Amino acid sequence: MSVLRPLDRLPGLNTATILLVGTEDALLQQLADSMLKEDCTSELKVHLARSLPLPCSVNRPRIDLIVFVVNLHSKHSLQSVEESLCHLDAAFFLGKVAFLATGAGRDSHCSIHRNTVVKLAHTYRSPLLFCDLEIEDFRAAMAQRLVRLLQICAGHVPGVSALNLLSLLRGSENPSLEDL
Amino acid sequence: METQSEEQAVTKPADSGGEGGPPQVAGAQAVRPEDRMTLLLRLRAQTKQQLLEYKSMVDARKDFHFQIRFCEFDDEHKIEELENEVEEAKTAFEMKKLALDRMQLSTALKKHLEKVDIKTSVLMNNMKQILNLNKLIMKSQQETWDLEEKLLDVRKKRLQLKQASERKLSEIQTEKNKQKDDLDSMENSDKIKTIQQKLETEIQITTVIQHVFQNLILGSKVNWAEDPALKETVLQLEKNLTMI
Repeated sequence: MSVLRPLDRLPGLNTATILLVGTEDALLQQLADSMLKEDCTSELKVHLARSLPLPCSVNRPRIDLIVFVVNLHSKHSLQSVEESLCHLDAAFFLGKVAFLATGAGRDSHCSIHRNTVVKLAHTYRSPLLFCDLEIEDFRAAMAQRLVRLLQICAGHVPGVSALNLLSLLRGSENPSLEDL
Repeated sequence: METQSEEQAVTKPADSGGEGGPPQVAGAQAVRPEDRMTLLLRLRAQTKQQLLEYKSMVDARKDFHFQIRFCEFDDEHKIEELENEVEEAKTAFEMKKLALDRMQLSTALKKHLEKVDIKTSVLMNNMKQILNLNKLIMKSQQETWDLEEKLLDVRKKRLQLKQASERKLSEIQTEKNKQKDDLDSMENSDKIKTIQQKLETEIQITTVIQHVFQNLILGSKVNWAEDPALKETVLQLEKNLTMI
């Protein structure tokens, strides 16, 4: 069983790799394209996957950030994400994992309640981002955010580490969680 | 059986702004070594940061305590305690950094002041300007305070006057009520009733006497219209006493 570990390889020079995990291929592809369009001083590598575990035959670089994309319109995506989470080493959750919930804009189509995703993110102590990936502008903004997150998680920003960022992002979440 | 999942990789070549890669070699030999320098510095910072991350991970795993704690992640409280520890460490670090920066700043300032001619330096001008502004601020604050005091006094006086007028008006009201009550009671008192009754009986008696006299004079068949004194008497008898 291949469990993904965060620091098992040495980092490539000036390279940052992000892994997008989700069942919606089209959305992931679009997000990947938007991210690559962003201006960034480091070399970006985007890997897409439907679910973990990844086939270990492929020679891949060190993964710096994993983003799980959950589509609020389909329960299947949530299920597959939950199953994939077991294949991650616990050290990943120190800031190198983020959840992205899409499709919150069209409330009538949502089959997963917002709180489910919030609880999931809270259990794994990871930041939760909301974005409607189908809309171009939101996608571009989210791509920008992800690129910045990625740079920090890859260690390209001196003075800020992934754990540091995690505690920074946590500050704004807590008030809403007390309602749960 | 391992579930096979598709994986696609998409890459993008380095997009560093002034790096010498792309064919912009046209002259500017001086530009390239400088950009290379920034690139090298950036890479150095990157590698440092990554090294720091690896080191901290290695140190953490070596620590026995960490190993034990790593397994206890089912309890919410423990997790929150650890998160709080991280936060506290961060704030402590920030405080120390702040103190250190302040000390550095003050020594630098001191050295600068020692070097520079005090009368003409920009810094001293700034400081003097700041002091003047502070004096102005304090003066205007004092003025506002005084004005507010005056306003407060005026308001107090107004309130007092209002209260006094209220009292006076209520006194007038009570006096009026008392008067009305006295009047009512007076009207209803028994004295007046007896007096009224007596008056009525007197009027009746006088009316009877009038009628008697009238009848006497008429019955005597005297021509009373000729004699003015008798005429007057008869007319006077006609007066209806109940109308008085």
